[in-house]
Amino acid sequence: MNDTLAPVRVNQPLLFQRLRWRLLRNAVGRVGRGASIRLLTVVVCSLLVWGCVYVASWFGFEFLRLQNRTGTFPFVEDIIATLFDLLFLALTLGLVFSGSIILYSSLFGSAETGFLLSTPAAADQVFAYKFHGAVAFSSWAFVLLGSPVLIAYGVVFAVPWYFYAFLPLFFLGFVLLPGSLGALLCLLVVNGLPRRRKQVVGVALLAISVVLAAWAVHVIRTAQTQNWTRDAVRDFLDQFAFAQGVLTPSHWLTQGLMAARHGHTGEAGYRLTLVWSNGLFLYVATAWAAARLYRRSYNRVVTGGTLRRRYGGAWLDRLVSGVVGFLDPQTRLLIIKDFRTFRRDPAQWAQVLIFTGLMALYFANVRRFYQGDINQQYKNGVSLINLAATAMLLCAYTGRFIYPLLSLEGRKFWILGLLPLRRDRLLWGKFAFSATWALLIAEFLVIFSDLMLGMPGPIIAVHALTVLVLAVGLSGLSVGLGAWMPNFRETDPSKIAVGFGGTLNLVAGLLYILVVLALMALPWHVRAIVSDLLGRHIPVHWLWYAGLAAGLLVGAAAVFIPLRIGARNLRRMEF
Amino acid sequence: MIELHEVSKTYGTVVALDRLNLRVEPGELFAFLGPNGAGKTTTIKLIVGLLFPTAGAVRVGGFDMQRQGDQARQLLSYVPDQPYLYEKLTGREFLQFIADMYGMPRSHGRRRIADMIDVFSLGDFVDGLTESYSHGMKQRTVFAAALLHEPRVVVVDEPTVGLDPRSVRLLKDLLREESKRGVTVFLSTHSLDIAQELADRIGIVDHGRLISYGTLDTLRKQAVLDGSLEDVFLKLTQEAPGNGAP
Repeated sequence: MNDTLAPVRVNQPLLFQRLRWRLLRNAVGRVGRGASIRLLTVVVCSLLVWGCVYVASWFGFEFLRLQNRTGTFPFVEDIIATLFDLLFLALTLGLVFSGSIILYSSLFGSAETGFLLSTPAAADQVFAYKFHGAVAFSSWAFVLLGSPVLIAYGVVFAVPWYFYAFLPLFFLGFVLLPGSLGALLCLLVVNGLPRRRKQVVGVALLAISVVLAAWAVHVIRTAQTQNWTRDAVRDFLDQFAFAQGVLTPSHWLTQGLMAARHGHTGEAGYRLTLVWSNGLFLYVATAWAAARLYRRSYNRVVTGGTLRRRYGGAWLDRLVSGVVGFLDPQTRLLIIKDFRTFRRDPAQWAQVLIFTGLMALYFANVRRFYQGDINQQYKNGVSLINLAATAMLLCAYTGRFIYPLLSLEGRKFWILGLLPLRRDRLLWGKFAFSATWALLIAEFLVIFSDLMLGMPGPIIAVHALTVLVLAVGLSGLSVGLGAWMPNFRETDPSKIAVGFGGTLNLVAGLLYILVVLALMALPWHVRAIVSDLLGRHIPVHWLWYAGLAAGLLVGAAAVFIPLRIGARNLRRMEF
Repeated sequence: MIELHEVSKTYGTVVALDRLNLRVEPGELFAFLGPNGAGKTTTIKLIVGLLFPTAGAVRVGGFDMQRQGDQARQLLSYVPDQPYLYEKLTGREFLQFIADMYGMPRSHGRRRIADMIDVFSLGDFVDGLTESYSHGMKQRTVFAAALLHEPRVVVVDEPTVGLDPRSVRLLKDLLREESKRGVTVFLSTHSLDIAQELADRIGIVDHGRLISYGTLDTLRKQAVLDGSLEDVFLKLTQEAPGNGAP
């Protein structure tokens, strides 16, 4: 090689930026050409969610503003600051965990990093490239859910224009902190405990969830026993002092935004500098660690475990097989296959443990309502909240675990496609699996809590029917939409669940819950409340039964329409 | 050019490579053979620096892969058995990315890209997104990328899978030409006829140990068999420790 052909100095950050830009440009160009309906659906759904959060926040802030003006509610500014502190702290925790998990699969589980690490790309540059993607991916929910809250606050309290200018600047600097912290944790866990990394993440998530839930229970109990005097409000707000420490980055964000709202640009600028300088410092420190640890970590992940581990049958498989024993043997085998895949992935079942733990804490917390020392109206409300909470749990369960099932068949889908069974049966099998478990768990939770509350028989029957419609309908939606919009290229179920199809499924599920509860359960509760207020029995109108019938029809539609669309897509699918 | 000195590699409790010693000279076309699970891919990943040895040292072009990996990787190209392409890049954009990554001067990079498109007959599809490529088209694009920056070492894992006969012939000719130009080719394959046809020397690994190493004649002498490479390979791997040989 002569001198004129000697390699030039490579600006790797620029090279990766160019790569990202090209990938994005080509992907967007393709969407524009071939999948405009999808793009439109994404935009409409996002706007819908954004609008709903904005409206709810606007009413909340307006309520607080009015209370502040009439003087009936002390410390409104402090309450809002505390709310922001909690919002940003929750965001910090969420970004630390989701960022580290997404980064883990990007850095250690993707074919792309295997390719890049075999080129002269520097380890810290590959890390930085994947880090930016992971942080962008994990923080989009904040943009969608956090920005309407902050903008509603700005509109209600008529903040100066530069408050809005500060928002993106604060956001961009702030996400560096939890993102870098999550990345650092990811690298350290993989280096320190390469064989137990999934268990460490599972236990950490569980521990944090339990601590948060226990703290929430404590706060709610305190709130229920307070008379809202000025001192009581102050005492209550003091319980959130942990989120307001001088070294808490989420508090810097709150202080900065509040300063901007009051026109104190100097203070806002100082907080912004604090956020950015610390964010950049942590990012540089993490990149420095990545330059030394990333290749070593990659080696440890690949070779950390044993090459071949023996797996055998388990009583759990037999239990599941027994529960779905009413299905034909072929469908049962497919269900057992899905279940085995699920139970052998700690990242999957750890999240189920968290779901279950949170639900157990919730029901433990409301047990004091079961003592019978509260009035019927209160019980009536609690039983409706229990029903709604169970519906949300079902929605989260089907969205997170059922929706990705078909996509997870991945590139080996052709194996199922060549099996001597109708492809529709794949869907109906997954649907039966989901609906059976969802129904068993949800019916138990709702009927048990209703019985403990001493709810009357008709209400329990209505709840049982509503749960049936919810479990079956949400399962139908998740399986059907999962087959309509499969993502065979993604192997991470959490990414599938938070992708476009997963988000659409979540939004559809939430709307479905709203409609079913409004049609089937709400009228009966309203009747009970009115009856209690008037002190006389209100006869059941035929409209109440019509609501139940309409709910059943909506439920049937939620099962058959998505499953038919999904099955048609599956039948047409080529491999 | 490639040197493995007393290299061992363990996966948990399983020993994948056991004190492997290997030396591949500049311009040599070396075929690395072995049954499934013998340690071929692990060896290759150690050579390209994706994995680090549990014991021993790997050197490429005089650079220690663990301490000077970035310099060593500048010299080599790796074509894995399941190559990676960015699905949302065109073939040409991918080649440009590789040219930039290896620091090729702009004009030289463009010339080489044009040459590779010509050599591997990529012209018909190089401006389409790679997600639309067939397996053979992807393989050809990956080989074009691997040879684009004129590496001094080419490491290839199962190169002929998915290629049509014409492309296989082209690939064999290219590997031979590269070798003649002084490029070291480390070829891992199950295609014994290709190994026999191309290789200057052959190494056979089994149960993580190098059981045979040398020219085909050396291997024949070791096996006490005057047959094809296939016969020699089967006899040597049958007799290797751990295979229940008498």
